Amino acid sequence: MNAVTDLQQRMLRAHHAGDNAALPTLYLEAARLREAQGEVDAACFFYTQAYVYALDAGDDATAGEARNRLKTHGRDR
Amino acid sequence: MNILAQEMLSAVMQPVETARGLPNEFYTDPEVHVAEKRVLFASTWACAGFVSDIPKRGDANPVSFLGQPLLMVRGNDDDIKVFQNVCRHRGMILVEEKTTLRSTIRCPYHSWCYNFDGSLRTTPHVGGPGNNLHDCIKREELGLIEVRSHVFMGMIFVNLDGKAPAFNEHAATLLEQWKEFVDRPLFHAGQDSSFKLNVRCNWKLAVENYCESYHLPWVHPGLNSYSRLEDHYNIVEPGAYSGQGSVVYNSQLDATRKFANFDGLSDKWNTGAEYVSLYPNVLLGVHRDHTFAIMLDPQSHDQTIERVEIFYATEEMCGPEMADLRQKNAKMWKDIFIEDIFVVEGMQKGRSASLYDGGKFSPVMDVPTYCFHEWVARRFTGK
Repeated sequence: MNAVTDLQQRMLRAHHAGDNAALPTLYLEAARLREAQGEVDAACFFYTQAYVYALDAGDDATAGEARNRLKTHGRDR
Repeated sequence: MNILAQEMLSAVMQPVETARGLPNEFYTDPEVHVAEKRVLFASTWACAGFVSDIPKRGDANPVSFLGQPLLMVRGNDDDIKVFQNVCRHRGMILVEEKTTLRSTIRCPYHSWCYNFDGSLRTTPHVGGPGNNLHDCIKREELGLIEVRSHVFMGMIFVNLDGKAPAFNEHAATLLEQWKEFVDRPLFHAGQDSSFKLNVRCNWKLAVENYCESYHLPWVHPGLNSYSRLEDHYNIVEPGAYSGQGSVVYNSQLDATRKFANFDGLSDKWNTGAEYVSLYPNVLLGVHRDHTFAIMLDPQSHDQTIERVEIFYATEEMCGPEMADLRQKNAKMWKDIFIEDIFVVEGMQKGRSASLYDGGKFSPVMDVPTYCFHEWVARRFTGK
């Protein structure tokens, strides 16, 4: 199983389990992976998901990082 | 309003000696009830909930008040705000159940996120996947729709049309009359100081019954032992509130223990108590050692929820060692209010008597009730 598939499965499990505390970091991990591969649009999709779930979960650190990356790419403010 | 209705309301606005009460339709007609939402509620200050519903920062309480979805939120600065409980995007209900929010109000549909002050925080993918910006989506114009609100004696008042005078102006006379109570903290103990009654009557009948003492010896004979009819006086402030006062309040819940009194009250309150209906939907009681507030939540033209919350003078009174006394106090009030149910429900049934003409007021005993009828009539006629 490659890293992306494994991450997708962990995301699905977290969604199915209603594990809202896990979602921000999982999406952040996905965003970082895509950003490292130079896929800015895909990365920003995942940063957005991470940002929203982090706001919802009160995960300030993840929300802050995701938002900063989005701002850097001109995708949020 | 048609000519016949105008004439009937004109009869209500006569001096108390000759006035008639409100016509039956004001209790039995669903269309009048719909009109009341605008004329008697939305255009003034009405109670839509209690501070004790959202005690902690981030607490959010969705309510349906007069059919309007509202969201009450306590922000990180402890500031309480009321919003229409809808997303500015597609009008989705934002919060379905009472909850504690972490740091945002997130719409469950497309996840538009709002700050606790209502400002729009982010709009995920609004400019396409991974792009949360678009020139047409101006966040500063798309905050939650705030409903004007004001906290008073543990209650959250709202002015739905946003056009009423400021609350302190609206309730100026009562604020002056009860200045010894209104600016001090009130302490609420939670469930044992809270109860609801579901009554099959128009909400106005609950107001009318509450604000007069005439019925006390007949409906509450238990009060005769220490609080006789002659110990009461009328409180009348046309256009604002009316009620009754007692000069013999003497709490006898326990032989040895008592609730702490509010600090610094004048001698009047040693044995004084006052009960007023603050129009439209609040029934209040003040005593030297506790206050209570009843929110009338009309469910329809003939169904009302009475929500009762009791408040104490100090935090210590809300501790576990006073729980039994609080329970006794809540039970005492609940028993009294239950005694009133057959009356308000009986009057509701009576309003189906087609030849009933609104009734007749005692110029001595019914003045607080007359005052309320006159307020209703004047708001409907604009006079």
